[in-house]
Amino acid sequence: MSMLYVLIPLAILLLAVAVWALIWAIKTGQFDDLESHGWSVVLDDDQKPPPLDEDEVSDSEKESR
Amino acid sequence: MTENKCHCFHCGEPVPVSCDLTVQLDGRSEPVCCSGCQAVANLILESGQSRYYQFRTATAIKPSDENVDIVEAWKRYDSRQSLWGTPVKGGACELLLQVEGIRCAACAWLIRSQLEARNGIEQVQVDVATGFVRINWRPDKLLLSKIAGILAGIGYRPHLPLAGAEAMGRQEERRSALKRLGVAGLGMMQVMMFAAGLYAGDAMGIDEAPERFLQWVSLVVTAPVLLYSGSVFYTSAWRSLSNRRVGMDVPVALAISIAFVMSCINFFSGNGHVYFDSVVMFIFFLSLGRYAELVIRHRNLQTGLALARLMPEWAELITDGGSEQVPSTDLRKTDRVRVRAGQTFPADGLVIRGVSSVNEALLTGESRPVEKQVGDKVIAGSVNQTQTVEVEVTRDPDESTVSMMGRMLLKSQTQRSRYAQLSERYAGWFVAVVLCVASLTALWWIQHDIDMLLPATLAVLVISCPCALSLATPAAIASSSRFLLEQGVLLTRGSALEVLSAVDTVVFDKTGTLTTGTPAIVSISLNPARTDFSEARVRDIAALLELDSSHPVAHAFTKPGIDRADVEKLLNHENGVEGRVDKVAYRLGSSAFCRIELSDFDSVDNSRVWLTDQNGWVACFELDDRLRDGAQATVSELRRRGLNLMILSGDNKQAVGSIAKRIGIDMFHAEQSPAMKMQFLQSLQEKGHTVLMVGDGINDAPVLSVANVSMTVSGASELANSAADFIITGTTLKYIVNTLDSAARTKQLIRQNLAWALSYNLLAVPFAAAGLVVPWMAALGMSLSSLIVVMNSGRLAKNNNKNNVIEQVSEAEPA
Repeated sequence: MSMLYVLIPLAILLLAVAVWALIWAIKTGQFDDLESHGWSVVLDDDQKPPPLDEDEVSDSEKESR
Repeated sequence: MTENKCHCFHCGEPVPVSCDLTVQLDGRSEPVCCSGCQAVANLILESGQSRYYQFRTATAIKPSDENVDIVEAWKRYDSRQSLWGTPVKGGACELLLQVEGIRCAACAWLIRSQLEARNGIEQVQVDVATGFVRINWRPDKLLLSKIAGILAGIGYRPHLPLAGAEAMGRQEERRSALKRLGVAGLGMMQVMMFAAGLYAGDAMGIDEAPERFLQWVSLVVTAPVLLYSGSVFYTSAWRSLSNRRVGMDVPVALAISIAFVMSCINFFSGNGHVYFDSVVMFIFFLSLGRYAELVIRHRNLQTGLALARLMPEWAELITDGGSEQVPSTDLRKTDRVRVRAGQTFPADGLVIRGVSSVNEALLTGESRPVEKQVGDKVIAGSVNQTQTVEVEVTRDPDESTVSMMGRMLLKSQTQRSRYAQLSERYAGWFVAVVLCVASLTALWWIQHDIDMLLPATLAVLVISCPCALSLATPAAIASSSRFLLEQGVLLTRGSALEVLSAVDTVVFDKTGTLTTGTPAIVSISLNPARTDFSEARVRDIAALLELDSSHPVAHAFTKPGIDRADVEKLLNHENGVEGRVDKVAYRLGSSAFCRIELSDFDSVDNSRVWLTDQNGWVACFELDDRLRDGAQATVSELRRRGLNLMILSGDNKQAVGSIAKRIGIDMFHAEQSPAMKMQFLQSLQEKGHTVLMVGDGINDAPVLSVANVSMTVSGASELANSAADFIITGTTLKYIVNTLDSAARTKQLIRQNLAWALSYNLLAVPFAAAGLVVPWMAALGMSLSSLIVVMNSGRLAKNNNKNNVIEQVSEAEPA
């Protein structure tokens, strides 16, 4: 029975970690969009949109200088 | 290629007969309706995202021809650092954009994968419900106008969120509600586990030390949950008490306080039971209900936002030395602005220079342009179509017609939500009764057996918790709103379902709702004196004359595969066109333009278009709107159910009359301004009718918000959508019938739920008051009754098959 005195505080510690993780996740917006991420499992593949056109790249590079 | 069967692969609109554009997908060619859709679809397919089309649940919006202009306009923002969003660490900025055209999760996926692949964009989040896109980006690597360009390229329209702070606030509200729910949930799991140990100890015996320990840890976990997650109930109970009302939260706050305080007393005094588990469980279930409600409420589009979006963000102010761009909101009376062709008027005013035609669909709902000359009034939000004009501002932006309309809208919306609070008043009564019973119980036990005071009073409070009662309606509504969404109908105001089942009158707008808003030729009458022209010949001539014309009427004349060899355009006027076909000069247009004496004919009719040459008139085309898909079937089904049907339209009498006759609605009112429509609806309501309004235009928005329930059809303006309770995302009207059906089923469910919750309470309360129910049993009973309510509501989604039958029936009927 005396294990309880160790295990329960441990459980409460884990609980605190879980609460912290949950609040962190909510704060960083991971629960804001619950729909589209579910889709990405069926939709995503390795193909990515083509890179920016040459002039676009040079445009933005110019801007950064 | 038949006109009605063929829909655009991208936007789902009918493909005009004259259009033979296609896109290639898996070796098949799919038809598209315009070069805009073709470009967007090609871009999506080429970047390997063809699965968007496979998985989307709503068709896309038709991309505007102004995509290039969007990029041009956004280039002005490139240099304005204040518009880049809030800086976050690492030189990145967090930008919030309101994006038009986001309709389903596949849209969100498409936007995310298009944007996130670009250099300079770190993270993208899309909120499908509100259309907000949050972009973490590096302004030093990418220009703002490029982001706008990418979005425009895949067929969405980006806007700067004018009420961004408001949107952020709503998100913050949702986040903190979720945090409270999560904390309560985690806390509940822990405390329930300790409680299991304590109950087992009660039954089988437990040493005092572990029992004290378990109670102690329960307290340690419960206290923060109560303070953090439970705080909302205290603040809201306090608010309703200070307004001298007994809200739903008063007994909630009372019950959790009593349970917690008494448990603490029992714990510290070392005898009696603790009820920490009841406290956290109670908090968790209530938070769950509240969160579900919050999410539904936030689905409502923001009226003010939709309104602001009609307005141009910038205006060209004429100054002494030339002109400069100023934010539209800075305009004041007597300012002079220049408005170019294709731009939107930024303020109400008088034309002081130039002549142009203006699209005032905002006021009238009709897309036919109106001629404006010097001295004529123009209103903010209407679109200048043909030529540059200068305008003197006559009203500050705050007092413009559009702002007034917005205020009208907001007012009727708040009035209506008050009406919807009626059900809460019942809950107030219920709560008062519960409190009375609880105090009577307490009084009785004080006199008879002081030891039973706490357990019995607590049992009454817990067992009669309005949990199941308060879940009865939201749970049913939540499940049917999910069901409707799958069917292509977005529910924006939950309580509308209850009202919809009581509707006895359906009022339709005409243009854009019953009809598609694009004209088609209904009949052609040839001049009997001119035997050298056949019907086919005049059609060809008209098609050639209207070739490449952007006038809305030109759509009616377009013809595929026509040989455009011998046409010469002479004049393209607002009221008609003049040109030479095979060396013969013709005019095609209104009677005034073609100089026709109308005395020969029964009436003036602006849905007639004439074809003349120098010898007089050749033919007369009768034009009318094309009916929307399923309009006929829907109207006859609604009539079969015994509903009153009416048309209210801003269009002229003949046009409305002919549509009414074609579709079979006897009652119609034409030439109605938004204010008249509102009055008419209110008079219907005063006579005791419950009215469903179906509309689409900006001018319908006020009347939509006055109606008891309102729906918009696909292609409706954003403002109308913001005023509507149901937004139909599919193109056909048959969804009206489906929605009515599911409203009826929802009402039935709500009744079952309420009946169950009430009878449970009536049965359980006497036992609790008699002290026969231990608080933990009461908590269990309460949870079970809530669970039954939720499960009963879930049945709605299983009734799918019944609904599909209706769909098939209306599909089988000819459109």
